[in-house]
Amino acid sequence: MASESRMPESNPFVEIATHLFLEDIATKVGIAGLNNYLVSLAKNLAGSMPKEEYTTWSEFLSALSTGQSILSTFEEVRPITDHCMSTFHSPFERGWREYAKRVGAFAPVHREVAQYYNHKVRPTAVTSVHVVLHTFREAAAARVHVGRDGVRYEPVASAWVDGDVQLPEGPTLEALLKRAGISRTKLGMLMRNHSDVWLLEPA
Amino acid sequence: MIDVALASLIEDMIEKAGADGVVEFWQRVGDNLASRMGKEAYLGWTSFNVAVREARTAFSIEGDVTPLTDMAITDVDGDVVGYLYAMRQCCYVPTIFRTRFAVGRMSPADKAVTDEYNENVHNIAVCNFCVFHERFREEIAKNISVSGNSLACFLLATRGWSGETKISSKNVAQVNINEDHMRALLRNYECVYALVMRGARIKGER
Repeated sequence: MASESRMPESNPFVEIATHLFLEDIATKVGIAGLNNYLVSLAKNLAGSMPKEEYTTWSEFLSALSTGQSILSTFEEVRPITDHCMSTFHSPFERGWREYAKRVGAFAPVHREVAQYYNHKVRPTAVTSVHVVLHTFREAAAARVHVGRDGVRYEPVASAWVDGDVQLPEGPTLEALLKRAGISRTKLGMLMRNHSDVWLLEPA
Repeated sequence: MIDVALASLIEDMIEKAGADGVVEFWQRVGDNLASRMGKEAYLGWTSFNVAVREARTAFSIEGDVTPLTDMAITDVDGDVVGYLYAMRQCCYVPTIFRTRFAVGRMSPADKAVTDEYNENVHNIAVCNFCVFHERFREEIAKNISVSGNSLACFLLATRGWSGETKISSKNVAQVNINEDHMRALLRNYECVYALVMRGARIKGER
């Protein structure tokens, strides 16, 4: 989200309430059910946002970095290479800080659902909000066209506010880094002070 | 972004449990959050109002709350048993604008839950978040004591993002506040509530 965006900051209380809402759902439908809810709400959100089309990849990158794209509506996106994107701050950071300050430790269910997602879908979630974030970005990217091509999203690494980093291991990571055009060392440098590193490429 | 996604979640919940189910769900979430906030005790109204101003109370989780110390509520003996409190901005208004700029329009699910609450529970809601909010405040008030007395919260008046206002006739009568005062406050605030000592015999209570 660019600084000139008209998008106001949310009140963290609404985010806290939403987290409690999700915790209550988990008590009824379990971890797998919560995962389904998170995936569904992220897809619905992306599906309710307008589609986008760009003539060239550079025009798309410019829209991303100025906060004009669906993919940069909720977060500030900084392209590292043509296909490697980074997010400076997690859009959930303020909500989490306020939750920790006013309510206490994050309920374990948020990590448990991330572990379920890592096992079932792909190993890039630290907490429940990453399930939302990855699913949203994937569904949002599918609504973008650059020239005749669609856009495909893939997460490379996610770091939570407490410094916990989740990323795939071995050949999967190497293949992602190659497609992103960055080295393992560069990824380590980015993860020191960024919340996410991800890949966008023509589909 | 999870605040904007909440509308999608509520749409989904309405399909599964109906608007009345979402109201019950929101109220239970309000209870749960309040139960996790812990108890607080203050020597008197002065120390409580300073704590509110400095954002140290459980009520401060909502954002900036102004104690309206010129609007005290007194009991039959003339002792101060409560005050009015107000928020310049409803907690949910930034989310409504964020939804407007991200999606284009607010989900009809918001109005469905609001209408359900107004028709069947308390005609005071201007958005779906009021449902959670009112219950949350009522519950945390029970966990706060001033001069050894636990508090009760009465939501008095609300103003929605598009300007519509609601005043709770039932609650303003309970704390003996004139509705004209509420209308005046709503020019400057979007949410007004009263905190009073539980069990107090309020002067002029109707």
